[in-house]
Amino acid sequence: MTGAASTPAIEVENLSIRYGSVTAVETVSFTVPEGQQLTLLGPSGCGKTSTLRAVAGLEKPTAGVIRVGGKPIYDSKQGVNVPAEQRGMSMVFQSYAIWPHMTVFDNVAYGLRVRKESGAPLREKVRYALDLVKMGPYADRNASALSGGQQQRVALARAIAFSPSVLLFDEPLSNLDAKLRSEMRIELRELQRRLGVTSLYVTHDLEEALAMSDRIVVMRTGVVEQSGTPGEIYNYPRTAFVADFVGSANLITGSVVGSDATAGTVAVRASDGNVIHGVTRGRPVGTTGTLSVRTVHLSLSRDRPPGDINVWPVTAVRSVFLGDITQVQVRLGDQDLVVRQLGPLPVEPGQTAYLSARADQCALLEE
Amino acid sequence: MKLFETVAMVTIVAVVAGFVLYPIYYLLQAAFDVGLPDSRPPTAYGTENFAKLFDYPHIIWNTLVVTFASTVMALLFGFVTAWILTRTNVPFKNTLDQLMTVPYYVTPLLGALAWSFLGAPESGFINQYWRWLGASGPLIDITSPMGIAWVMALFEGSVAYVMISAVMQSMDPALEEASQVMGASRWRTMWRVTLPLVAPGVLGAAIFVFAEMLGSFSVALVLGTPARFYVITTAIYHFVSQYPPRIPLAAAMGVSLFAVMFGMLWLYRWLTSRKSYVTVSGKAFRPRLMDMGRLRWALFGIVAFYVFMSAILPIATLLFASVQRLAVAFPAASNFTLVNFTQAFSINAVRTAMLNSVILGVVTATLGVMMTGLLTWIILRSRLPGRGALEYLVMFPQAVPRLVFAFGMMWAWLVFPLPLYGTFWVLLIAYLTVFMPLGVRTISGVVLQLDKSLDECGQVCGASWAYRLRTITAPLLKPGLLAAWLLIFVASVRELGASILLMGPDSKVMTPAIVEAWFSSSSELTAAMALIQTVVITLAILVFSLFTRRLSMHGASAQ
Repeated sequence: MTGAASTPAIEVENLSIRYGSVTAVETVSFTVPEGQQLTLLGPSGCGKTSTLRAVAGLEKPTAGVIRVGGKPIYDSKQGVNVPAEQRGMSMVFQSYAIWPHMTVFDNVAYGLRVRKESGAPLREKVRYALDLVKMGPYADRNASALSGGQQQRVALARAIAFSPSVLLFDEPLSNLDAKLRSEMRIELRELQRRLGVTSLYVTHDLEEALAMSDRIVVMRTGVVEQSGTPGEIYNYPRTAFVADFVGSANLITGSVVGSDATAGTVAVRASDGNVIHGVTRGRPVGTTGTLSVRTVHLSLSRDRPPGDINVWPVTAVRSVFLGDITQVQVRLGDQDLVVRQLGPLPVEPGQTAYLSARADQCALLEE
Repeated sequence: MKLFETVAMVTIVAVVAGFVLYPIYYLLQAAFDVGLPDSRPPTAYGTENFAKLFDYPHIIWNTLVVTFASTVMALLFGFVTAWILTRTNVPFKNTLDQLMTVPYYVTPLLGALAWSFLGAPESGFINQYWRWLGASGPLIDITSPMGIAWVMALFEGSVAYVMISAVMQSMDPALEEASQVMGASRWRTMWRVTLPLVAPGVLGAAIFVFAEMLGSFSVALVLGTPARFYVITTAIYHFVSQYPPRIPLAAAMGVSLFAVMFGMLWLYRWLTSRKSYVTVSGKAFRPRLMDMGRLRWALFGIVAFYVFMSAILPIATLLFASVQRLAVAFPAASNFTLVNFTQAFSINAVRTAMLNSVILGVVTATLGVMMTGLLTWIILRSRLPGRGALEYLVMFPQAVPRLVFAFGMMWAWLVFPLPLYGTFWVLLIAYLTVFMPLGVRTISGVVLQLDKSLDECGQVCGASWAYRLRTITAPLLKPGLLAAWLLIFVASVRELGASILLMGPDSKVMTPAIVEAWFSSSSELTAAMALIQTVVITLAILVFSLFTRRLSMHGASAQ
């Protein structure tokens, strides 16, 4: 329990969930490697929670296979469907689901008592779990008398107390205020690393997903849009949806004027004549293409920066001061782009300036 | 384990289906029986029994007059008191709000007995005073159709109040404020915004009240029958209990009544489920209160008058009548006696009836809570196929007047292989069936408030269905289960419509015994019996609330 003993991998293959004629999840596949954390990210209604609940056994899928440690717990073809209570998993619910009629101790001890543990070993394990989430002094409190953040911690302690093989998280931080959320994000991540429990996490919050996951699966209307490491997802969105949902991005469409398959580069000429150089990331190059560039990857300067590609003269339209950063809207040819930049503004609205971007931060989208 | 769950669920569904459908089947069979009298099963089927209903146009007419009059009056009581208590700054609002539910506990039967003392044309106290003032003839006649409707409306007004005030409370005050901000006067706002918004809710209440009035029995039985004034429910009772009984005719009446009520309740459900208006969010708002100035004391008077007429005056009247040898309006020391109470306790039949009622109440409430608790869980939380149909089945008895349902049961259990008819068992089954909607409604109110993930979390933690039921579900449901127990107990102890047809000579219960005493022995003794019943129920409620407070205080001290 103290070491990072890895727990089994989760494999989801061609999972489909239908409610009557509505398809919630359509042939979704992904693997959570041993001891790692994978996040299902997407807007509400994208099927991420249904997928998680199917892994937990709370939802019966229509088709597909779910395996834990190589053994199927759900297989539509072989008619395998292990009931939730026999899957040996654990889950943190969005509403925390803290039982209000029990003390904090009883809540955390529940999974252990189900497994017929009692006496000193039980007390020992509950104490350990509560200490992990810094709730040790609250053991004898009535669970209904806790604040939201404390309930969240108790829910977490309850989920890990009985050393489950797999941890599932259903938007566990969405009911906390912003400050507490960013604290818990780090604590959760460290706890998961320390315990080495294979975890499946569901959220609609980009920062949460980026901060906590080994891998991210972006979902939309029941299908997987893109999966990869946080860096891949952020830097190289595969589709316009991912580019837009995972942080803010500028999309520039134009005709392809040159590409190099071995170097993986592409050049696109926008309708106003400006040429943007980008990377293909192995994606097919057609006659037209759309490049995505993060608002923070664009830089604005009064003087022309060195280099002869990806430098364009622009006119600043308006700027908004947002505290840590300043957001500037600039006009490049006939389209508006958004630049988010640290530090003082080099330009006033109405003035001209130079906009530049690194070619490897302009990613070609799949059509 | 899985198998056990399924078997348990299927068993309870089968039992419920049997309880509900078995009597309905025999009721329908009797209604369409046009074969030889006294032969069961029927030798021929047809619709002649329904045609015979038109031989009794006065019964249909009486029913319509009493139902419409009482519905209009009850809605008027309910709407006016709801408006005063939710939308104005009337003084003592919380006290009045609590008092408004008292008439519901007084029950129409007690009200009818008391108002009979007050408003009988010859002997009624009010009419005695009226003559003493020099008038000739009665001031009021409580046995007239309007008198019967008045008493029915007094007690249904409390139900209408609860329904209409809920509608008025669920309206977002911002809707009215928006109208005011745009320059509309207070009255224009009320006319153009408030009334249209509450209209669907009030219409729903109107339909519900109408259906209840259509199926009501006790008031017309006590006030109407002596003067041979019958509405459809008392007519059914009359045709079933006269000699020789006219079963097919009574069954046809019952089926017709049931069909109409079913239609009305379906309409009510349909109206209230189209959440297009006020109750969209289900949130309780704090409506803005109109400052009525001095007028607020007049409004206080109106609500207080309603509570006086429907709760205080009836109880006081019964008390006054029960301590007299011969109930008259003018108190006299020579007329004072406590013999009615000693008699009530000394007559064997009365004593056993009281005891029987309490025992039956406890058993019904205990079994009923277990049964309806499981049913609610199956309907709301299980994945049993057909649980939607189960909900309809469970709520079904609500649409059937208890008297009609009991008639079906009587007819069904007479041919049942086991000799259950006339025993406690048949009463128990009847109570369990007719109070099923009450229990399910009460418990589902609590279940719906419980987050589903409380149970799912236990499941993911590895707990079986039975373990979760014991450690999570049952403890969380405790307040709801206790409330349902009390409601079913109270309803059982004062049950009349079903018991009056189903009790046998060895299974007498209290409320029918009170009605019997009213018709066959002295009215003063009846008043004493009715008061004793009220005291028993009040005591039960008191003991119960003390007990539950102790429980919740115990829980609080554990924190």
